[in-house]
Amino acid sequence: MTRSLLSAPLRTAAGLVAPALLVALWQWNSGGALGSVAIAPPSALLTAGRELVADGTLGAGVAATLARALTGFGIGAALGFLTGVAMALSSAVNRVLGPLLQALRQVPMLGWMPLIALWFGTGEGSELIVVCVASFFPTLLSTHSGLRQVESRYLEVGRIYGLDTGQRFALVQLPAALPFVLTGLNQALAFAWIATIASEILLGTGAGLGVTMQQAQMQQRLDMMLVAVIVTAFLGFAINQILLHLRRGLLRWQPDNR
Amino acid sequence: MSIDPSLRLPAETPNTPVRGELAIANLSKSFRIGGQLRPVLEGINLTLRPGEFVSIVGASGCGKSTLLRLIVGLDDDYQGEIRLDGERVATTSLDRGIVFQDHRLFPWMTLEQNIELALRNTNVPKARRAQIVAEHIALVGLEGFEKAYPHQLSGGMAQRGAIARALVTEPKLLLLDEPLGALDALTRVNVQTELQRIWMAQRSTMLMVTHDVEEALYLGDRVIVMSPNPGRIRRIVDVDLPHPRDRRSPLLHRLKDEILAELTAAPVEPGGVSDNLVRLPAREAR
Repeated sequence: MTRSLLSAPLRTAAGLVAPALLVALWQWNSGGALGSVAIAPPSALLTAGRELVADGTLGAGVAATLARALTGFGIGAALGFLTGVAMALSSAVNRVLGPLLQALRQVPMLGWMPLIALWFGTGEGSELIVVCVASFFPTLLSTHSGLRQVESRYLEVGRIYGLDTGQRFALVQLPAALPFVLTGLNQALAFAWIATIASEILLGTGAGLGVTMQQAQMQQRLDMMLVAVIVTAFLGFAINQILLHLRRGLLRWQPDNR
Repeated sequence: MSIDPSLRLPAETPNTPVRGELAIANLSKSFRIGGQLRPVLEGINLTLRPGEFVSIVGASGCGKSTLLRLIVGLDDDYQGEIRLDGERVATTSLDRGIVFQDHRLFPWMTLEQNIELALRNTNVPKARRAQIVAEHIALVGLEGFEKAYPHQLSGGMAQRGAIARALVTEPKLLLLDEPLGALDALTRVNVQTELQRIWMAQRSTMLMVTHDVEEALYLGDRVIVMSPNPGRIRRIVDVDLPHPRDRRSPLLHRLKDEILAELTAAPVEPGGVSDNLVRLPAREAR
């Protein structure tokens, strides 16, 4: 325990080795060392970054992308959770909705985009719908299977102490399924982030990191595009870290949860 | 809130022992296996006096655990009668508690929350619950572990927690389904002593299933010896010794030898059906 605490900064530093090597290789290559690949040197990125911050593009893009991703995730995950609960608790709902949803989830997230663009046009509404769809299915599936896997020995304890339907759900089924639900939410958030950037690139208007990438491509501004890519990677990583932290807090009752 | 004056209010009668009389008459139970009805219990007749501790021993497959599931009300598909204080058992009730071999504390709740859960649907006032939970944690000797999650407890401690949860509702009848079966030998002896002390303090009616003859004799006022295929009562042994008992008592040792001989003997039933352990593998092989 003590040893792993002491080495914590060291372990974090280890995670920075690969990015640092990548940047070094990149700077070295920008002198033409590995051939004339079209790539801007890291130093040019700082200039482009400063430019994007100064004209407000980056701030507006980050805000718009985050708002889009989190709103879409919130709506999609909430609907997925509620549908998963309904399907797990009612076999009638499961029979009616199960086959349809199992078929629909086979459509990749990108496959929805042309259809959604056709129905709802481009712009904010369509982007949000794509993110909702992307968050909906992972949440639905993990909630459903998590609730279906609650061990009967725990449900029997609920019967012995006379728990009613609401108590059984809140005190037994939901906590027992929580590890599955959180895994699903984790995946849903990753999908939501991908869907946000993809929909911004393909359907985007207004502000957004994906929109910036798209515009950079039109203007052949490689430096600008890379800034947007790096910021996207960093934000996605940060969001994931927050979720993992929440997960550890919520599952502190699990024996192997550190 | 009910105003039925006959309702027991533990808040007003904290130390009143609660005892139930269990009466089982002509109880039979079958399982359908591969389209065939296979009897697991046949013609069980048994009455437990209020406050009595009765042990059941028998080889695996004699239907001991099935019997407890029927009595606690997790399975109501049976022929015959099970009555607690005259009332026929059909479903689960807070009058009948059970401790399983696996402690079944919810891993997502602390010890305290697990025990408090049992009080959710009782008429114990909310304000009294914390105190009653604390009393029962003390009763099983787990003070200081109120906020511990089950994975932070040893097997013996978790099982004592499960006993506290089962007792907190003050059931008229406590069923114990091999409660110490998963514990190591040393812990087992300690929890047996503990269980005897708890029963002497609480004096509710208890029915314990075990495969350990020594344990059955150490704790039981009576020991029911069951035989398998289908499960029947073979013999009822009175253990005429006061509690607390001394494990070295010559009577306990003599009875142990007798029961072990009984369990491994090969008598023929009046019906001509051999009903012993030796034939068990042959029957299962068919």
